Amino acid sequence: MPAGRHCQPTLFRLLSIALLGVGLSEFSIADTVSFRRDVMTVLSKAGCNAGACHGNGSGKGGFKLSLRGQNPEFDYHWLTREADGRRIDRLHPDRSLALLKPLGKVPHQGGARFREGSLEHRILRDWITSGAAGPISEPTLTSLEAVPTSALLLEPEESVQVVVIARFSDGSRRGVTSLATYEVSNLLADVSRDGRVSRRNFGDATVIARYLDRQVPVRVTFVPARPGFVWSDPSENNFIDRFVFAKLQQLRVNPSELSDDHVFVRRAFLDALGVLPTATEAREFCEDTSPDKRERLIEALLQRPEFADHWALKWSDVLRNEEKVLDPKGVEVFHAWIRQSMADGKPLDRFVRELIRAEGSSYENPPTNYWRANRSPTVRGETTARLFLGARLQCAKCHNHPFDRWTQDDYYSWAAVFARVDYEIVENKRKDKLDKNEFNGEQIIQISDGGAVRDPRNGEVVWPKLLGDRQLGPGSYHDRLTPLAVWLTSAENRLFAKSLANFIWYHLLGHGIVEPIDDFRATNPPSHPELLDALADCLVESGFDLRHVVATIMRSRVYQLSAIPNETNEDDDRNFSRAIVHRLPAEKLLDAQTQVLDAPVSFNGYPRGLRAGQLPGIEKVRIRDEPPAPGDRFLRTFGKPERLLACECERSNETTLSQAFMLIGGDVNELLERADNRIARLAASPNTNAEIVNELCWTALSRAPTTEELDGTLRYLDETSPMFETKEQQALARLAAQFNLLPPPDDRRSRLQDVAWALLNSKEFIFRH
Amino acid sequence: MNRLTRRHAIKIGGAGMLGLTLPKLLRAERGAGSIKARAKSVIFLFQWGGPSQIDTFDMKPNAPNTVRSPYQAIDSSVPGVQVCEHLPEMTKRMDRVCLIRSMTHRMNNHAPAGYYAISGHEPPADDQRLRDSLDLYPAYGSVVDHLAPNTNGMPTSVAYPHVIRDGSIVPGQHASFLGKRHDPLFFLEDPNASDFKLPELSLPRNLSVDRLQRRRDVQQLIDRQARLLDFSADARGFDDYYQRAILMLTSDRVRKAFDISSEPDAVRERYGRTTYGQSCLLARRLVEAGVKFVTVYYSNSIGGRKIGEGGWDTHGFDNTRMYKIVDKYQLPMTDQTLPTLLDELDERGLLDETLVVWMGEFGRTPKINKNESRDHWPQCYTALLAGGGVKGGHVYGSSDSQAMYPDEHPVKPDDLAATLFYLMGIDPAAKIIDRHDRRLPIGGRTLYDVIA
Repeated sequence: MPAGRHCQPTLFRLLSIALLGVGLSEFSIADTVSFRRDVMTVLSKAGCNAGACHGNGSGKGGFKLSLRGQNPEFDYHWLTREADGRRIDRLHPDRSLALLKPLGKVPHQGGARFREGSLEHRILRDWITSGAAGPISEPTLTSLEAVPTSALLLEPEESVQVVVIARFSDGSRRGVTSLATYEVSNLLADVSRDGRVSRRNFGDATVIARYLDRQVPVRVTFVPARPGFVWSDPSENNFIDRFVFAKLQQLRVNPSELSDDHVFVRRAFLDALGVLPTATEAREFCEDTSPDKRERLIEALLQRPEFADHWALKWSDVLRNEEKVLDPKGVEVFHAWIRQSMADGKPLDRFVRELIRAEGSSYENPPTNYWRANRSPTVRGETTARLFLGARLQCAKCHNHPFDRWTQDDYYSWAAVFARVDYEIVENKRKDKLDKNEFNGEQIIQISDGGAVRDPRNGEVVWPKLLGDRQLGPGSYHDRLTPLAVWLTSAENRLFAKSLANFIWYHLLGHGIVEPIDDFRATNPPSHPELLDALADCLVESGFDLRHVVATIMRSRVYQLSAIPNETNEDDDRNFSRAIVHRLPAEKLLDAQTQVLDAPVSFNGYPRGLRAGQLPGIEKVRIRDEPPAPGDRFLRTFGKPERLLACECERSNETTLSQAFMLIGGDVNELLERADNRIARLAASPNTNAEIVNELCWTALSRAPTTEELDGTLRYLDETSPMFETKEQQALARLAAQFNLLPPPDDRRSRLQDVAWALLNSKEFIFRH
Repeated sequence: MNRLTRRHAIKIGGAGMLGLTLPKLLRAERGAGSIKARAKSVIFLFQWGGPSQIDTFDMKPNAPNTVRSPYQAIDSSVPGVQVCEHLPEMTKRMDRVCLIRSMTHRMNNHAPAGYYAISGHEPPADDQRLRDSLDLYPAYGSVVDHLAPNTNGMPTSVAYPHVIRDGSIVPGQHASFLGKRHDPLFFLEDPNASDFKLPELSLPRNLSVDRLQRRRDVQQLIDRQARLLDFSADARGFDDYYQRAILMLTSDRVRKAFDISSEPDAVRERYGRTTYGQSCLLARRLVEAGVKFVTVYYSNSIGGRKIGEGGWDTHGFDNTRMYKIVDKYQLPMTDQTLPTLLDELDERGLLDETLVVWMGEFGRTPKINKNESRDHWPQCYTALLAGGGVKGGHVYGSSDSQAMYPDEHPVKPDDLAATLFYLMGIDPAAKIIDRHDRRLPIGGRTLYDVIA
């Protein structure tokens, strides 16, 4: 951060004008400098207490401050007492290290932080000169506001000044714009030291202003002028379209066209069931001419058994259903219970209550595996908050959360709610004696009479408190989980409904309204707040009915949009103006391959024929150093999560070089060559090559081949005349010639294998679009 | 969260091959690249199990017999630097080596200490149950691939021939939160096997290069039908991987680098016909071909109870005795491989630009235990560096009279990490961003005193 940019006269003029509007004057140095209010501000403004500097857990260069100024007493001690008090020289203030270092007058790893004569310098110096008084009780900060709270800037407007106002416990208010610090949530905007936000690119950015221990978000939206813009005024299917389109219109972005039927049918099958439509299903849908065919397809899909498989997989990911801790039997019973809950349409609030209230045998009462997987009070607290309240608490374990309202007190009092879950380990036939994570055998999950969480800072037992809500009364001293379950899942708990609604939305649209989906906080606002509210209402009013919410989303025009951009929405990737393209997740891709080839793949410990999307766990425990089964190897390479984090983020939809290697030379070749697969059957059939290509294209891509495709593949099937155009091709040809490699026997089957390989490796096949 | 706009992404994606992706752009933004790269490559020989400092490179011949090694300390090519008598070849090459005798940390268990050693970051707890997850730091090689990826067609980072574990898999062997695309090229095939080859670099029996090309033609025909490649940077990125994979399958450079059988027998014998010996030879070949970071894991288990297998974990458990094992297995193997590697790099003019690191996850207790062996000791141990811009014949830091605690210049693994990155021309103050959007430094203090 360049030093000394804060007192440009133009800025002061701007600020004065802005502040006049709210009837305030901007901060000026008062008679006495307060440590709590003024010095602490300087430590933040100059960046001294940032995580990468002295706010680091182990300090920097032997000097330590509380992270972002959470603890004034601590900071006062370090400034005045540590290092033999050399940091402060009351007799010769200018010799104080606390001034020499940030001014850059003595070597400072962090460089110069402010200039001589700057506001920061004057505050620190005045404080030392006046005796370096410690933090005393004085009016505390009660609220922080930013003006404006949000801004929409239409080109050519390209910047906006944020004004920050602090309100104190004695009722006083003052402007702290030049004292606050600013951060911006993405690379679309820049923010100056003094709160001026300017455009780098069009779109939404959130600016966070902090002052002392408070922070406030400002949403800034930069809209391009697009002089000739005409709103396309697409029709709306339901409330989802209303909210999404309203914002798009404001942003001067037109949504893409409605997707074609063949794209929609493929997308709907993959998103709702995790499998491809068969050639017949796809053809029938595309040939159907009735206007309500999409509605009817959605209804029909939701009644199919694969719907339950699909959602059981999603829940198994985040509920940490994995073999090492739950053991293979535990994984199977837990998965079966989740799957049955989804198949039965169990209301999601009840589903969660059953998890939270689970007691007894991990084999007999499957939801107890939620507690079996989460083995300490802090982990249980973190997981429960993350999954059902969309809150990431982890930061607050060691210090107050730097971007959220959660304090360390909140963290440990919430963990205390989970303190009395206990285990009776009936047996543990651990396979790897060295592996202390492994459990193999039945466990009884019970509520014990003892068990408490202690605050690591003072060793005292912490009283249980619901997150961001009330303390549990003495009546709940023993059974803390019943009041938790009731409170957590009640319709009044908006965070519960919103985080679930966002979870469902994410799995259908590929991007959360809050993103990441488990990171709800004021400083990470939803892209469409009203839509999220309405979806939460939809969930609550339907009695927490998953199918109802899924159907509502899939019926919207927004869900059914094409991925092909128009000239206004090319850059949009978070306002749902077009379908999001992403690589199919591991299980869907593998199942799609095996479905197209009609050649099932094997997984360690499961009968052949089970789909990847139906696997209960990660991988059955195998003997050390034994190679994985082909199916398991594929899933690992394509990013199936390890299920250790209770976080959707663990699943990777990245593309990698090893994936390309696997699709080129890997086990797929064995599937292609099987004697009883679809290729072999088609090759042996009396059908013409054109008929076969047509069938394969419908099977793999849910559409008929284009003329170019049909011509090209038929030419290839009938005669081979490879054209060596690119360097890559020439290199291959040279190499082939060099090694005297001859093409394999030119029979119809091997050519069809090549066509099938090409289909399975086309981007249209590998990507959801 | 730092996000790039789509337009950016498209431009980058459009720039084609792999080198020009997000990391480069981010790096450009950070303005790194001003540090001179002294080491083009690193060979990290990780000594799993924890070799004893006091029986190798930090002998204390004057310590009481409850501490002193039963092995003799002998003079080396560097005056004043003594080495164990069972490393006679190494004594002749100490003038090319820089020892750090004041390595120190507090992790007593293999898994957390191992993670610390191969990632340079202190684990959250000293707990054997530490599990590999996206919350923990990436391997050195993955950080290099993120900040300074290879653009020469070779993988940036290769790791082999074991996955190390002590019960659970030790974290820090993969890219973690940097993303799978930064994983090292990892293989478990044995370079000492007569039919050694990488499955990735070989095509199945019925798939000739020619046939693969014909498949690729049809694939490209189908890809032209949907406009996905026009508007999805991800789809384009994946197609780039196909192109690169096919080039690797057909390019001589990569294939030849892994073709250890083309080495003359004499050279293979010099390293010893063991998995570890041939792994060291392969490391030299890979560096020669332009790989930036090679990690060789000494063993697949902590070992220490048998001659002929496992690592350095010689507690004397099960009525075994450390001093009946190490001088017959670990030490002779070290004395055959390390000097050979240094010589060979030197002969080929590669030593100046290749940093060799030899170290374990901790040292061993100065006090000899009741089994006449030694237990874990992270408080003070030795790391060995050679080539790649470090001083030869140098000792940095020192331990006390019993090699129990650092006497001067204590060095944490974080500092060693910073030094490795610095030597590779990567700014150790560079930040990587984790899943919680924290900007985390990649290293601690750079040890400028070890740099030549």
